[in-house]
Amino acid sequence: MTITSLTFIVFAFATILAYYVVPKKYQWCVLLLANIVFYAYAGWKAACFVLFTATSIFFGALGMERVLAKQKALFAAQKETLTKEEKKAVKHKNQRRRRRIMLFVLLANVGILCVTKYTDFALAQVNSLLAALGGGEVRYELNLIVPLGISFYTFQSVGYLLDVYWEKISPQSNYLKFLLFVSFFPQMTQGPISEYGQLSRELFAEHPFSYKNYSYGMQRMLWGFAKKMLVADVLSVYVANVFANYERYTGITTLLGAFCYAVQIYADFSGYMDIMCGLCETLGIRLKENFDRPYFSRSIAEYWRRWHVSLGDWFKNYLYYPIGMSDWSRRLAKKTKRRFGAHIGNTLPATLALLVVWTATGLWHGASWAYIVWGLLNGVFIIVSMWMEPVYVKWKSKLGLHDESRAFRAFQILRTFTLVTFIKVLPEVGDLRRGLGLWKHIFTDHRLPTGVGQLLEFADTGKLWLILAAGGSLMMLLVSVLKSKYQVRDLFNQLPFAVRIILLSCGAVLVAAFGGMAMYLFGGGGFLYAGF
Amino acid sequence: MDELLEILNDLNPDIDYQNEKNLIDGKCLDSLTILTLITEICDTFDISIGPKWMKNENFNSVEAMWKMIQTIQEEE
Repeated sequence: MTITSLTFIVFAFATILAYYVVPKKYQWCVLLLANIVFYAYAGWKAACFVLFTATSIFFGALGMERVLAKQKALFAAQKETLTKEEKKAVKHKNQRRRRRIMLFVLLANVGILCVTKYTDFALAQVNSLLAALGGGEVRYELNLIVPLGISFYTFQSVGYLLDVYWEKISPQSNYLKFLLFVSFFPQMTQGPISEYGQLSRELFAEHPFSYKNYSYGMQRMLWGFAKKMLVADVLSVYVANVFANYERYTGITTLLGAFCYAVQIYADFSGYMDIMCGLCETLGIRLKENFDRPYFSRSIAEYWRRWHVSLGDWFKNYLYYPIGMSDWSRRLAKKTKRRFGAHIGNTLPATLALLVVWTATGLWHGASWAYIVWGLLNGVFIIVSMWMEPVYVKWKSKLGLHDESRAFRAFQILRTFTLVTFIKVLPEVGDLRRGLGLWKHIFTDHRLPTGVGQLLEFADTGKLWLILAAGGSLMMLLVSVLKSKYQVRDLFNQLPFAVRIILLSCGAVLVAAFGGMAMYLFGGGGFLYAGF
Repeated sequence: MDELLEILNDLNPDIDYQNEKNLIDGKCLDSLTILTLITEICDTFDISIGPKWMKNENFNSVEAMWKMIQTIQEEE
């Protein structure tokens, strides 16, 4: 079901209506039913994969809990007779049993993700290696279908499994409720990747109808549709032009195309989040926010705390901390600290954890060398700035630069946005070679455009669309600036009712008319992150 | 408690740890600082902090951290 289609709008309204019509204790059942309809549109093959994940993780978590419950019962029954050592031995034995269950279920699910997503890439590497060694060719590609949203729901479910294993949460004992958590349709194709503790509270609570939630949610949905259909879909035509033919354009025009891509991907991904968070808000459900004005970040590390927040949090909680807190990591910190000082001792374990995290982040985004290099580049920038921190402090002091000075902040924001843009385009141009070629072209083609016409040569859709995309981008910038100080929707809702109705109606007509036309002319509708 | 405050002040002396109750949710401590903090706590109090304890509420204030340290010491 395309999110920017009339079918989805009808589906969304039907879900909202049914949600508030049924008795409140059955509201979660309406959501489950809506999931089934959503999956019916996506194809039942995808549903089979989700069912496997939900079922295996549901029973795995219950299995681990049963081991723990038996242990508690044993300790309660033999409170007086068991010695401390005996209790320790029982705990150790049970922990090993729980670990076996966790690993079995984890490997089964991560295995499916790897097989469906990375088999062709892995086989291509084997073939390249065999060719390089002069051996025979193993030419076969499986071309497996990657199930809808597999990277998102697998990570969310694995997070739940690990949280139960680490005893952070108690497992859900109702299978249908758990199925709803795994397959909740608004976050199925592009996240956010939610934590069970937070999302379950929202999903299973009873939500009475609230006019504020409904109107705020609708406004946010409209804003999301505008971002996606008027900005992202139009810019996608320009970006495709530049990426396919950058050799034809001047270096400056190519750079402008790269910046257009940065705006496009933000409008596309955050537009989807606005639509889905808005839809959930109409139901009284708060989804985890995935964006916090990321292009106003002052460093790459900060950017990744503000862009795709839920993925960053997942990697932090389930990879970075477990690696960084492991026994060997602590031993390494201790040894290096004794020998080389506190800064190196503290930074080295974090560096190793970050290298693993960023390689995994690259692979999560796509099965190609371009994505691996993209991930590592992000990681290297973060690691280098971590190591260089004491040097930066000295430089800033010598040069008289103050972190809070406006000029320095503006410089840091512009520098980070430019860096992020360069890294972003690398895997998107086609392959690594073409990505690097685009970088080289920007720096080596010194031709100056003869005028605005040549500068915007790639914008071959006509002036109207260019003005619409530029206007939409400026609106996004304005809203982002306002968001730093105000709750923008609170500001909007302070306007007189009649003014709000007129503005919202104009917005809806604009999005429906031009967005619909853009979809017809340029074939938009798909979302970039749905491919991950 | 004093030892814990000393560790925190060594890591970032600009924070008012006595009054700040939102160290993690308020983004006062970044992930590198948290890793360093955990290593220091483990070494100083001779305990092991596993992923089980990695919840924001356990690190949001000095009191919460101190309570967590005591619970782990009792468990171990």
